[in-house]
Amino acid sequence: MNWLQRLSKTGRMEKELDAELRFHFETLVADKIRGGMSEEEARRATRLEFGGLTQLKDDCRESRGTLWLVSIVQDLRFGARILARSPGFSITAILVLALGIGVCTLAFSLYNIASLQYVPVRDPATVVRIQRRSPENITPGVPYASIAYYRDHAESLSAVMETMGGPPLVLNQDEKRISATFVSSNYFSELGGSAATGRLFEATSETAASAPVCVLSYRLWQQKFQGDPSIVGKTIRLGGKPATVIGVAAEGLASLGTDTPDVWLPILQHTYFVEGSKALDDPKFDGLIGMWGRLAPGATMASAAQELLTLTNQLRTIYPTVIWDHEYIVVTPGAHFLTFESEPGRPPVLEVVGLLAFLILAIACANLGGLLMARGAGRQREIQLRFDLGARKLRVFRQLLTENLLLGLLGSLAALPVSYGVLRLVLVYSNAPAWMSALPDWRVFLFTSVMGLVAAILFGFLPTLQMVRRKKNRSLWHQFVVCAQVGASCVLFILAGLLVRASLHALYTDPGFGYEQVLAIDPGMSVHGYSSAKAQSYLEQLQTRLRAVPGVTDISIARVPPLVNDMVMITSIDVDGKRVMIYPNWVGPDFFKTMRIPLLRGRYFQNNEKNAVILSESLARKRWPNDDPIGKQWKDGKDIVIGVVGNTRAMEMNNTDATEIYYPPGADDFPGMTVLVRAAGDPGTLTPAVKAIAGSIDTQLYPTITPLTAGFRKNVAQAEQTATIISLLGGIAIFLAVVGLLGLVSFAVSQRTKELAIRLALGANRIAIFAAVLRRFAWPVVLGLVAGITATGLLSQILRRILYGISGLDPISYVGATAILVAILGAAASLPIRRALRLDVARILQSE
Amino acid sequence: MTIPSKFELPQGTLDLLILRVVAQGPIHGYAIAQRMQMISKEALQVQQGSLYPALHRLENKNFLVAEWGPTETGREAKFYRLTEKGRTQLQTETESWERLTGVVAMILEHPLGEPS
Repeated sequence: MNWLQRLSKTGRMEKELDAELRFHFETLVADKIRGGMSEEEARRATRLEFGGLTQLKDDCRESRGTLWLVSIVQDLRFGARILARSPGFSITAILVLALGIGVCTLAFSLYNIASLQYVPVRDPATVVRIQRRSPENITPGVPYASIAYYRDHAESLSAVMETMGGPPLVLNQDEKRISATFVSSNYFSELGGSAATGRLFEATSETAASAPVCVLSYRLWQQKFQGDPSIVGKTIRLGGKPATVIGVAAEGLASLGTDTPDVWLPILQHTYFVEGSKALDDPKFDGLIGMWGRLAPGATMASAAQELLTLTNQLRTIYPTVIWDHEYIVVTPGAHFLTFESEPGRPPVLEVVGLLAFLILAIACANLGGLLMARGAGRQREIQLRFDLGARKLRVFRQLLTENLLLGLLGSLAALPVSYGVLRLVLVYSNAPAWMSALPDWRVFLFTSVMGLVAAILFGFLPTLQMVRRKKNRSLWHQFVVCAQVGASCVLFILAGLLVRASLHALYTDPGFGYEQVLAIDPGMSVHGYSSAKAQSYLEQLQTRLRAVPGVTDISIARVPPLVNDMVMITSIDVDGKRVMIYPNWVGPDFFKTMRIPLLRGRYFQNNEKNAVILSESLARKRWPNDDPIGKQWKDGKDIVIGVVGNTRAMEMNNTDATEIYYPPGADDFPGMTVLVRAAGDPGTLTPAVKAIAGSIDTQLYPTITPLTAGFRKNVAQAEQTATIISLLGGIAIFLAVVGLLGLVSFAVSQRTKELAIRLALGANRIAIFAAVLRRFAWPVVLGLVAGITATGLLSQILRRILYGISGLDPISYVGATAILVAILGAAASLPIRRALRLDVARILQSE
Repeated sequence: MTIPSKFELPQGTLDLLILRVVAQGPIHGYAIAQRMQMISKEALQVQQGSLYPALHRLENKNFLVAEWGPTETGREAKFYRLTEKGRTQLQTETESWERLTGVVAMILEHPLGEPS
């Protein structure tokens, strides 16, 4: 019989045990009556003979191995009673645990949604992502020509799907653009997607030659067309190209990867929607076409990778310049939102987040441990009594552990709604796909319960052991706990201060350039396959015509316009073995004037100048701390430094240490250029004129016009969000520190109740007593602060490399955070002492 | 010859005796105690406190199985019955007990002061 069966049969066994013993009892009584006793006498005699019935039952249970079950139920019931008796402690403990476990559960839930749960598509286990790798290269995309070859030849794949993000498209005449993804015609049928109205693409019906069509997302249909069902069959203009709406995807339709576009277009019609595109024809096109497959019955990811490698080697003879040396194909599970692959050089995001979450749980547990120890001191008498009544050590220990376990599980239970609520907010604010649900699944339940058990062991084991052993020698351990707690809180608190200050302060100081009156005009030439010459002539025309617009003061071009680009480029140099990260940009001669970036030394670029670079002051100082940089060679190349300009935080708003390097544009840079226009007054008044001019030069293009202030606002909002999250974590840290210290001081006070009472009785000054108790805590607190500050100093140097923008040793953060921490700790510590001073002296002295 | 009214059974002996008594056919706890008392001519009084834990232990080891059934007085009682496993156990235990008592007897009956 296994324990589960035993558990289910326990109830019946109990009943049978009772009946069996009763039978014996009654028979004995009947015998005695037959022997001439009165019934009453017989019963009394039998009862005496029988002894303790409860003990006998216990022995029977023990001999069949069900005793532990009964006693656990007893322990749980007892534990629940104990917890209910001191609701203050229980609620605090559960709250502390809910926070600690909640943070872990939230982190795990996010990971679970992104990487463990399947995206709701048909037969998700056989959907795979296919990517190219070589020892030197990593790319998520596969050229279309290669995909076609794999599709035709791979036997381990029953279907191949493609997805390709398109440029943002103008919908009809709207100002705001919509996102589009090009997908293969079998995309929806292969994934089992359904339409809210109309139909989706069908495997054979959409071709390059057939009439241009599109499928709207449910979101776009609701927002732009108010859910109008008659939209099906109508023609809309996407980027100026007419296309027939054939249907709307269902609300909960899941797409592959993180892609949630507004509209889906057939990839075979790519050249129609993006005129001049070479995506499908040029085998060297390295744009991001994602390749997905469905494993044929019997095929595994390993066997598919093996077959695709063979096919890749065949492809090398067809496109020798396309296939890399030692290229291989990786096949990974495809039906997950995000996958974290173990690539070398991948930033350890997952590990760092996991570690931080666990750290918070550990701190919560440490503090709760302190609280528990304090309580243990108060329960000394109760436990002593139980020993005196003959309880075994192990039994008491087990009972106390059960109590902790109960607390841990209650904490887990309380953590679930905390994590659920926050997760819901996160999903709503991040515009998550409709199929994502914040509701915990079995993995989250399991994880949370395990965390509750882990927490119970972390916070409960040592204090419980101490309680059972009734050790008096706790002071060293106790002081160590104070020290560790203060240190850990200090780290969290200062880090929070640093991060908040870094992200907010940097924003509200001068960014180093003038953005308020500047418009960025992105013609989007590169996606339309513009050649360098064609782009250059377009840019020249555009600039000439814009210069004539009244109110325009300066015009320039830049490859990476500040604030409005979602993607920035980063390069680096080594200076004396230290790596310096640099933001490069390719700009026209008037860029600095347009952006109001001051020239500090040397000169600006001239027209068509080559082999010259301009450095930001910070970069010049890092590269040549003691020399004049003008005229020096940059790296080992032919580029000569001709000027030094002011630092800007254009590429990374919250990094005051950012360094920049500016190059004159090379021929390849022109198709990717953005035009920057500075207005004398409000740049918004220029928009219509700019739009008219930009559109009229080449009707094929639909330029995006964005005021830089919009980008700035977006940056501020992001930074504020980050700061809010960090402050929240800091708040949790403070709360935990307060709870922990409260517990420890209560503990110390309760240990010395008698001494305090005697002193009070002898008429000691209350303030002197106050100071005497606090003095015990002085040096562990100071030691903890010193350790915490040192650790933060070291940690911030490491964090700096992960999160730019922290001036790691900012004195205000350190002094401020430490001062607030000390004040809060002081207040927390004085609370139990004050309570102790109100003690009834006579009662305490009597009770001793 | 007076027999002490109570004496300690050696460890594990009670199990053997129970198996032996139950081997005669289905029997409930009370009757087991009665029979042991009778056979031992009142020398052995098995206490409920040791009898029932032993019964449950043997049942848990699958040496015994129990069924509820009516007694001669019409009351429902729990009747224990020997399993195949119990029967084998009884046999091996009996043999080892006989060997043990034999050895113990040999030593005890050896006349004092006589070289072996």
